[in-house]
Amino acid sequence: MDPITFSIIRHRLYRVIDEAVITLKHVSGSAITNEGHDLMVSLYRADGSLLMGGVGFLHHLTSAAEACKAIIRRFEGRINEGDVFLTNCPYTAALHTSDVYLVAPIHYGGELVAWSACFVHVYDIGAMVPGGFSPDSRDIFTEGFSSPGLKLVDRGEMNTDIMDTLLNMVRAPEMVALDLSSMIAANNVARERMVALVKKYGPRTVDEACQLLVDQSEESFRDRLSELPDGRWESRQYFDIEDETYRVLLAMTKKDDTLTFDFTGSSEQSKYGINCAYWASWGGFFAPLFPLLCYDITWNDGVLRPISMIAPEGTIVNCTRPAPISLATVGAIQSVNNAACICISKMLSASEKYAKEATAIWHGSHFAIFMFGQNQKNQEAIGIMTETFGGAGGGRSFADGVDVGGEIPNPIGRMANVETTESHFPVRYLFRRATSDSGGPGKYRGGTSLEYAIQQHDSPDGGIHYVVSGKGTKFSMSDGLGGGHPGAPCNFRWVHNNEAAAEGKYVNPFANSAEEMTGEQESISWGVFPLMDRDVLYVRSDGGGGYGDPIERDPAKIVCDVREGAVSETVARHVYGVVLDDAGAVDKSASEEARAVIRAERLGRAEVAE
Amino acid sequence: MSTRISASLVVNDTGQIACMGCDHELGPKGEPWKEAAQIDEAPLKGSGGSPYSNASNILLRRFYCPGCAKLLDTETALDGDPFLNDVVNV
Repeated sequence: MDPITFSIIRHRLYRVIDEAVITLKHVSGSAITNEGHDLMVSLYRADGSLLMGGVGFLHHLTSAAEACKAIIRRFEGRINEGDVFLTNCPYTAALHTSDVYLVAPIHYGGELVAWSACFVHVYDIGAMVPGGFSPDSRDIFTEGFSSPGLKLVDRGEMNTDIMDTLLNMVRAPEMVALDLSSMIAANNVARERMVALVKKYGPRTVDEACQLLVDQSEESFRDRLSELPDGRWESRQYFDIEDETYRVLLAMTKKDDTLTFDFTGSSEQSKYGINCAYWASWGGFFAPLFPLLCYDITWNDGVLRPISMIAPEGTIVNCTRPAPISLATVGAIQSVNNAACICISKMLSASEKYAKEATAIWHGSHFAIFMFGQNQKNQEAIGIMTETFGGAGGGRSFADGVDVGGEIPNPIGRMANVETTESHFPVRYLFRRATSDSGGPGKYRGGTSLEYAIQQHDSPDGGIHYVVSGKGTKFSMSDGLGGGHPGAPCNFRWVHNNEAAAEGKYVNPFANSAEEMTGEQESISWGVFPLMDRDVLYVRSDGGGGYGDPIERDPAKIVCDVREGAVSETVARHVYGVVLDDAGAVDKSASEEARAVIRAERLGRAEVAE
Repeated sequence: MSTRISASLVVNDTGQIACMGCDHELGPKGEPWKEAAQIDEAPLKGSGGSPYSNASNILLRRFYCPGCAKLLDTETALDGDPFLNDVVNV
């Protein structure tokens, strides 16, 4: 096929997704979609295989392919023009019940030519806890509505029985309806633009271009793998839930032009909903693989072909029904993301050509704080505190991690501003800022994390409730690379002020840091908690991993770090071996001595080597 | 001529894994090298400042070059968990 036509079609496919995403955002009304960009739109071939991966959470690109294939199997002979199907079953394809897939066939001239698929984390799914993250669930039956496949729109007509049933099972049904409408709209736009494309170039030409695009990705990816050294790299992610420790173990083997991800040895599936199912783990390692190894290759089924996975059944990376799974996205999936990120980066580091693409882990914890209750407008407010998408970049071979710089699995993730959150929930922020000393030390340090504190404000019920979930606070999950240290772990505290206030004790309503907060500070990491009256919720996210030896960091960068509050003088001196004078400049001789002392200590010698 | 195998290690022209900084040898290529490094295993808690509020039983393993003290690699571990071993075929 002529290269110009091919390039135009390839570009048009990407623009189809772009426009569908814009449509989805215009219709959706939830902060998690519009502010956090917890979304995805992609295009798939007639057989359900990935044609053009879009933006948003990247582990969904492959899982939505499985959603399309599941719908094709279930509705064989009953797939018609104008249909839209829904599935959110984690044991079919979805990551957890809250991430609802709407997939739609695209027909031209009566023939099925492609599929569009999208997801959003819906406002509510009817789980035990509003918002869908359900830490008290011990099986999937209490994690809300779950469907392996149903036809929501039949030949362009809404199936109101199904829609009404679904909305009857969730809180804030008007918001869930908006979520579903946003996805129907996105699929409609994708279908209209695809049909226009096929009409212009003809179905045979478009199909030929799509096949070429997939083959081209496979060839390019295999070529890239062939350029990298063969080997075997290991990584390990820990996390804790209620004092139980879990491990995700990964051994990644690269041989010729293939890669195998082996999760043998990972913990058995949990009674808590941090498990993930097979296709979620499959998508979990593609989330870092796409941007790290295929940054210049179209993300489609061709990239999947050289890859295999071993995920033992009954483990947290391939749990069996009816294990609870509502927290998979901030649980085992994120651990798979992290483990794969570091293995891929270690492989890249072994290549002169590609070492610059390697990165320490970004935002390894990915905790989630979900709020729910009546807001100041007497509306039922449910939603995530989008700071979880703020993240923290990992250090790389040429640059620091970006402070509060997002995460690898979602290149467009972001967080809402304070005012947006305060307008939606009955809370006020005491402070929100980057956290000093949270980025993993390194020649290139990890990006700093975020810390904030909130109180209830103007709540008709005297407060609101929140869900803390994720992977605990004990472990650092943002591993460093090449000698870089891991980033600091996250931390959550329930600050008790109400009893103190009742006793007439001083309560600081204007605390500007964790140290200034009055009241007993209780560490929390899992469960549902109240935020009432004068109590405070303090949250600190995790920092990014560092890259390289901290004592090789340019002292001039430390001057900037200390001036900007990213690194304290104490850490500058004792971890980086950089001493600043009274003016904040580098004390060169003192720093040389400090680094010599650190080197001597590393080698176990008490005195500085001459 | 040496061949890079990680962010901090090479395989030198005698087929030995060596420090990228000083060429101190750590063992034959294709084999785990960490046992030959200077190893420091200490609580991660507090290691990088007050935000390192990790549980006290979580360790930061640091693998230093015995020749020049360069920090070659790190890993987080619970006591008794094995080293993470990477093997690059060159």
